[in-house]
Amino acid sequence: MRTFLLCLLFSALPTSAQAVITQLEMHPGIPASAEYLAGQADRPAVLLLHGFLQTRAFSTVGALARGMHDAGYAVLSPTLSLGIPGRNKSLACEAVHAHSLDDDVTEIARWVAWLKSRGHSRIVLVGHSFGSMQLLAYLAGRPDPAVKAYIGTSLVEAQVDTDSRAGLIGKLERQVRDRQRTLVTARLSFCKNYPSTPQALLSYVRWDQPRTLAALKQSPVRTQLIMGDADELLGKNWIKSLEEVKVPMVIVQGANHFMDGEHEFDLLERTLEFLERTRMSSQQ
Amino acid sequence: MILPASISIKQIALAFVTGLLVLMSLIAGFATYQTRAVTRSLEQHSQDAAHSEIAAAIQQLLSQTQDQAVNLARWDETRQQLVMPEYYSYWRDQRVYESGMLSSPLARAALYSHSGEVLAGGEPKKDLPSSLPAGPPQTRAWLTLEAGGIALYQTFTVYSDEQKQALLGHGLIRVDFMPALQQRQRFYFVDTASIALMLKPGETLAASELHSRLRFKIRQDQDQLRFQEILSHILLALFVLLMVSSLLEFLAYNHLLIRPLHRLSDDIDAMQRGRFSDSRTRSQPLRIVELENIRRSLYDYQLQLRELHGSLERQNREFHSQAHQDALTGCHNRRAYEEDWRNFRDELKTAPQDTAFLLFDCDRFKTINDTYGHAKGDRVLTIIADALVMALRANDRLYRLGGDEFATFLSHTTPAQARQIAQRCQHLLDAANFTDLGINEPVGISIGIAYCEAGRLAHIDELPKQADIAMYTAKQPGRNRIALYGRDTENAAQTLVASRETSALFQALGAPGLMEMHYQPIHALPGRNVAYYEALARIRYHGKLIMPGAFLPVVSSRRLETEFDLAILHQVDMDLSSQLLPLGNGVSINLSAQSISHPEVVSLLLELSRHNARHPLMLEITETSLITQMTEVRAYLDLLRTVNYRIAMDDFGTGYSPLRYLVDLPVDVVKFDISLVNKLGQNDRAGKVVADFVHMMNDAGYGLVAEGVETESVLNKVESLGFAHVQGYLLGRPVPLAQLAARPAATASVTTCTA
Repeated sequence: MRTFLLCLLFSALPTSAQAVITQLEMHPGIPASAEYLAGQADRPAVLLLHGFLQTRAFSTVGALARGMHDAGYAVLSPTLSLGIPGRNKSLACEAVHAHSLDDDVTEIARWVAWLKSRGHSRIVLVGHSFGSMQLLAYLAGRPDPAVKAYIGTSLVEAQVDTDSRAGLIGKLERQVRDRQRTLVTARLSFCKNYPSTPQALLSYVRWDQPRTLAALKQSPVRTQLIMGDADELLGKNWIKSLEEVKVPMVIVQGANHFMDGEHEFDLLERTLEFLERTRMSSQQ
Repeated sequence: MILPASISIKQIALAFVTGLLVLMSLIAGFATYQTRAVTRSLEQHSQDAAHSEIAAAIQQLLSQTQDQAVNLARWDETRQQLVMPEYYSYWRDQRVYESGMLSSPLARAALYSHSGEVLAGGEPKKDLPSSLPAGPPQTRAWLTLEAGGIALYQTFTVYSDEQKQALLGHGLIRVDFMPALQQRQRFYFVDTASIALMLKPGETLAASELHSRLRFKIRQDQDQLRFQEILSHILLALFVLLMVSSLLEFLAYNHLLIRPLHRLSDDIDAMQRGRFSDSRTRSQPLRIVELENIRRSLYDYQLQLRELHGSLERQNREFHSQAHQDALTGCHNRRAYEEDWRNFRDELKTAPQDTAFLLFDCDRFKTINDTYGHAKGDRVLTIIADALVMALRANDRLYRLGGDEFATFLSHTTPAQARQIAQRCQHLLDAANFTDLGINEPVGISIGIAYCEAGRLAHIDELPKQADIAMYTAKQPGRNRIALYGRDTENAAQTLVASRETSALFQALGAPGLMEMHYQPIHALPGRNVAYYEALARIRYHGKLIMPGAFLPVVSSRRLETEFDLAILHQVDMDLSSQLLPLGNGVSINLSAQSISHPEVVSLLLELSRHNARHPLMLEITETSLITQMTEVRAYLDLLRTVNYRIAMDDFGTGYSPLRYLVDLPVDVVKFDISLVNKLGQNDRAGKVVADFVHMMNDAGYGLVAEGVETESVLNKVESLGFAHVQGYLLGRPVPLAQLAARPAATASVTTCTA
């Protein structure tokens, strides 16, 4: 795997003065980039993952990255390629989606490896929304031992039309089995029309609430959920279900799915609290 | 410099309106010229705008296409297709449009591999090239003429990194140039249907050279066309409006100014010509204040002039009336007579007609005037004039020529009609009542008529003279007071008032010597010896002798009795002083009654009385004249008798009041008129009356003289009746003094004048 590292320094902000854009060729001809903010060596590095079809430039993720970096944490904010070379913009729902959750997990693993290559032995995964689910999928596989903790903010499952998920999965499985490559358009997460290959769509659709809850329950690392009680994008009983599996969870009162506005500070504070606890516990 | 002739205000108005129309036409022409200039400017502007418009549209289209190419080159999904072209057709046919990368189906995009081959995913598009033209991998644009029309191609290059180090492939945008250009914007100045690109089939044209091959037409600006149409209509309407308004203005000008001014001018001209017709329109007010003021002033001035003119006319009429009317009688005066007579004669030259001239004269008017006073005399004249006017025909005019003399001339009148009118005049006057004036004696008029036939108008000027002759003929005793010249005047009258005789009379009165006395013997009875001579006046004029019948009427008409008597007395004085008259023969002198009361005559008679010693003198007072101053006459006669004058009553029997005269005057001798003497030869009652009257006069002591004895029988009768003297052609005619002096002395044996 060839690794291209191109570091460009931008001097717009003080924090940005330490930002490094790095690229990794996830597939042949498909490079992906990430922003790396260096932190204090005694603190764990944070791999911060954006939400569904977004980039690291998404406001909630960007603010959180700068907050953690300001707190002394090294933060790596990748932008998943989603099969697109050098993707730097959010991908439209109606675009061709040939990427799969497996591809996403692979890219997360690559970035974790990149952090380790940068000397970070303790890594905390922080995800937002769908990114929390993708990190959870990574943790459900064979996570790198350097990964010490997981923070899922506004965690959602791969939402589809509730009544048809099973049928959709069956249909997709048949298409995959029949090696059909025709694009399938279905609802996924907040995309009402999400054209995708059957195999790629199937990889996401399988992550329904039970599988997500199971992955949480089986998380190999310290886990923390930060949820907003005003998050209208969540499933009807999702918070309640999360509480039932007794996953450490902080609910920010009044915060919506993106925890914007004043709730950015709640999110950052809760995140930093968890990171601090994680750092303290690792030192012990 | 030649000054223009006077022009009327109507011409000025026409010139003004014409000038206005010319000015408006010039303005309209100028406006049309300006409009065309504006139109050309607008067309130029439209052309420039069209160039700018199409240039801008093309530039925008090129820029848009270029921007689209840039966006596509940077688009994630473009890079996605270049690395995974499995769903290229989906990207090409759907994503580029729904994502907004291409805004119109007129534009299509294609992706090509690194080597320039079109991506294989899906069905290839026929209008998109399967490979890119060879050349450096740079962005460029060109146009080409294809079967479907003109196509604009824009290439772009796709890199996998922002540093454009890793080339992924190429892209191409094809745009249906003309539809895209027309769809891009609405052309206001360019006729979109005319836009064409001069390209040969298959020829490639770089976009930068597009303008050089572009052809198009300028769209007719509908607003401009509408503007021109509206402007043309406005100009036409303006011109028509100006024409109509000019016509209306001219009519209004004509109605309000020209006609009133014409009217005022005509009124002024009429006033200058003295016509003051009462025009109803002249009193109508005018609408123009200034003209109304002029009209009012003119109207007032005209009224004043009319009043003044009327006053002058009245005065003229009054003056004319006064000048042509007799103030006393109201009839026309002599001036009117002269003018009318002159005009009448002029009219006769063109319209010949029978004409009669009537001359009226009041009988014994002077006597009436002297007897009853001038006031009553004037009243008598007034009554006479009124009667004559009533007697004349309606159109006949009566003229008072002077004193008691009136005249008229009658047209279309025969002699019989003239005489009939004259008789009517006398009848009306006879019917007039003069007793209210205290005049109990008859007042009559004598009328002389002269007549001229239409064919003898060359003698028309003779009518007044002929009428004068006729009038004096009518006045002759025994006449019926109406005489027609030629029929009644006979020979004697022919010289009555002839100018020659009149001239001779006046010369005789003014120059002694022309008067010549002829002496007729008066014989005593019964011896028939010459007792004395009656001095009878003659006038010798240019060697010819004028008889008394020719000039005595002139003396009477001219009231020359006194002057004539004085001349006779002077001549008799000269004759008596010449001693040619036989010694002892008396001389009887005729005097008018008027002269007796004249002091100068009486004085001369007193002086003449010195001849009484040698020639006893007798004064014969004619009884035909009215003696109005009886007292004075009697006193003078008494005075003259004291110096041995004897008084004789001449022409007894033909006068007015013979008995009164005999009673009141100191008459010694009575001379019976020839008319009475001739009665003596008749054995009828008249002869007896005269004979008895002779006896009575003899018994009263009057010496009687019989005049006009021309026959022996009358002489015997006279002698038998006791007449003391006899006079007549039978015994002796009047002879000049020289002839009398040459007679034998025996005939002058009787010298006393005692008859």
